[in-house]
Amino acid sequence: MTTPAIETFDLRKDFGSTRALIGLNLQVNEGEVVGCLGPNGAGKTTLIRLLLGLIIPTAGRAEIFGLDSRRQTVQAHRRLAYVPGEASLWPTLSGAETLRLLGKVHGHVDEAYQVELIDRFGLDVTKRVRALSKGNRQKLILVAALMTRADVLILDEPTSGLDPLMEQAFRLCVHEAKERGQSVLLSSHILSEVEALCDRIGILRLGELVEMGTMAEMRHLSALTVEATFEGSVPDVTNVAGVSMVDVQGTRVRCQVRGSIEPLLSVFASSGVVELLSREPSLEELFLSHYGSPTSEVASASPAQ
Amino acid sequence: MRALHSNVSARRGAGNERPSSTVIARITARKSGRAGVGWGVVFGLYVATQAFAFATSYKTPAARHLLVVEFAHNTGISALVGPANNIGTVPGFTAWKCLTVLAIIGAVWGILTGTKLTRGEEDAGRWELLLVGPVTRRSAAQQALLGLGAGALALFVSSALITAAVGRSSKVGIGTGAALYFTLAVVSGAIMFLAVGALCGQLATSRRQAAGFASAILGASYALRMVADSGSDLSWLRWVTPLGWIEELQPLTRPRPFALVPITCLVIILAGATVSLAGRRDLGAGTLADRSSLSSIRRLPTSPLGLTLYSSRSTLIAWALSIVAYGLLLGSIAKSGGKIITSSASLRSVFARLGVSGAEAYLGVALLIMSVALAFVAVGQVSAARKEESSGQLDNLLVRPFSRSTWIGERIALGVVVIVVGGLLAGVATWLGAVSDHAHVHLTSMLGAGVNVCVPALVVFGIGVLTLAIVPRFVSVVTYGLLAWFFLIEIVGGAVGVNHWILDLSAFHQMSAAPATPVDWTTNAVMAAIALIAAGLGIELFNLRDLKGE
Repeated sequence: MTTPAIETFDLRKDFGSTRALIGLNLQVNEGEVVGCLGPNGAGKTTLIRLLLGLIIPTAGRAEIFGLDSRRQTVQAHRRLAYVPGEASLWPTLSGAETLRLLGKVHGHVDEAYQVELIDRFGLDVTKRVRALSKGNRQKLILVAALMTRADVLILDEPTSGLDPLMEQAFRLCVHEAKERGQSVLLSSHILSEVEALCDRIGILRLGELVEMGTMAEMRHLSALTVEATFEGSVPDVTNVAGVSMVDVQGTRVRCQVRGSIEPLLSVFASSGVVELLSREPSLEELFLSHYGSPTSEVASASPAQ
Repeated sequence: MRALHSNVSARRGAGNERPSSTVIARITARKSGRAGVGWGVVFGLYVATQAFAFATSYKTPAARHLLVVEFAHNTGISALVGPANNIGTVPGFTAWKCLTVLAIIGAVWGILTGTKLTRGEEDAGRWELLLVGPVTRRSAAQQALLGLGAGALALFVSSALITAAVGRSSKVGIGTGAALYFTLAVVSGAIMFLAVGALCGQLATSRRQAAGFASAILGASYALRMVADSGSDLSWLRWVTPLGWIEELQPLTRPRPFALVPITCLVIILAGATVSLAGRRDLGAGTLADRSSLSSIRRLPTSPLGLTLYSSRSTLIAWALSIVAYGLLLGSIAKSGGKIITSSASLRSVFARLGVSGAEAYLGVALLIMSVALAFVAVGQVSAARKEESSGQLDNLLVRPFSRSTWIGERIALGVVVIVVGGLLAGVATWLGAVSDHAHVHLTSMLGAGVNVCVPALVVFGIGVLTLAIVPRFVSVVTYGLLAWFFLIEIVGGAVGVNHWILDLSAFHQMSAAPATPVDWTTNAVMAAIALIAAGLGIELFNLRDLKGE
């Protein structure tokens, strides 16, 4: 059995009286892309800073390829690369000088790939950092991380400030990394990005991992959206087993179904249905279904975020 | 939403709501005012110390006459701290010892505060949120200038209160009006360079660059004043430099309020230009063109320590040059200073017991200022480390195979090397200055004195590292507070004769008066051990805490 790329064991972090992360157990396997979702204050950045050893856990531990992120930090960092949502770089250095410095500190750079990345992201490395826009600074941080070909990539809002074209370039890079066997932990608010890139998705809420699985597994647990059009009047489906959120407009009805769809189909079949549409919930719908009370999330924002 | 609205309405009704359009003025006034009061107290205590020191050390007309003979026409001293007018009297001596020194310290404070509270706030992004509201860029600059004015006022008031109180002493005898005029002259340096700093903040592309521009102006101003006071035909140059105008005010001797005219004009012109330029440039950009692209990769260091050295090279070179220049000047007046010291009966007996006299006796007392300067270097090193952490730049290194212990260890090594090299430079430069004046000072004793003045700075540095590891957000408060505490205990405590238990709490007091006395290697070893233990604990504890932003 191979050692997971990332593994946490009852990881907990308190900031004073605020519990930012509560006994988190997470595993990212080799060659796997795992997404991490959650609103502001859910604990995503706290989790990432704990994995990187920038903050100290209150309890539990985190490992990178079996290396304790707190006690074997340097060894663990040889195998990872990190992209923050916004980095504070050295303003007087040019892009090329920044890449050279960060490459030297990391110790390994695939120089051919570095050139390719600079070209792919259309990055002008002759400009000083202070003259770069937010998006171009983000490209620079992305290139600095990806050029190392590290075994595990930890990405915290990596496409923040990038235009749609550059976001496509980023997605290509993640696909390539996965093909090469690299592991990725991706924290993002762009649900379509997570849906397109990730093998498994975890949803954090108030510092706890409330959902973890593949898209298929998560859809199975959630409701199916059904829309039907009838010749005549719409039958009453509110009391059908598993049906909720019934919305009738003229001869059309929209509702959600949990569990077996058979009882609903029986009612429709006996009522002259002329059109029937069903679709699985999107990641956005899955995500929103976990957050009935957004204000409580905002109130719990931790200092790290 | 309704609840929020009613809450806001209730606060308005209670009169707590302040117009947001003055928030920059209020914040700037609060920050600069706090610092102004603190420095005003230091200025006032320094003036008090010099006045009382003269009154008690030079009691007889013969001692005062010798002082005049040695210093009144000494061009070296004149170039260093200005012409010595009426130095045979308490007011004349106080003005001579305090005016230029405090004007320069005030100017440095003005540069740091003026750039930090204007360009520094803008660089940190704190103004951006306000500038999208009802506040224009010009209005923001006006408000910041008003806030800086409040800081200058706080500096003046706190300093004037102490100076006026000291002046009422029968030993000192300075009238209240004269004390106020003298304080105005002393704080003029701060007022002018607050305005210089604010204008440079509009010209430069960053706070660091703005501070560099303003420091260059201060350096040029000091150099021109030195030439003007060097006894040549170029004394008219005093009228083309801000530090010369302060001298021309001639407080406590022959007051010339006319010199307030160029000072006032300069402040008004600089403030007007600051507001005007603020409205013309883009937020975050400088008025002067900046080279945003580089045609080739420079051969910069590629290690974190190398980058730190590269980034701080201007500051370190400026400190080194200042220490060398001051050492040369101190050495060149050591012989005259020695004669004055031996003219004081009390000091003569003290040094006679120690078996020294002349230049070495003088340097033993005068080198304290070098130790203070090196302690400032130490504080700067710790503050720079904290800045690297709070800005988030350190994150870029620590998420790579680069340990916290290596980072802080390299920072400690760099700080120690800078302090020790600074001390040795001070010793060698002072020896060279003394030799040029044919004073009998040995190189070996000056090298020992150079190492000796490092030790208090190492104590401040070690405690600073420990503070960085435990309470990083209080690094500046603790290190500057410690430095001020050490200095005030040594200067004021010594003058008023406080209990030796309190005096012993100052690292400056523990330092021997080398080369007047032998270096006390045992005490130095104890102080170095305290510094080492504090720094070692700092390394350990830094590994146990979260990295923290601002």
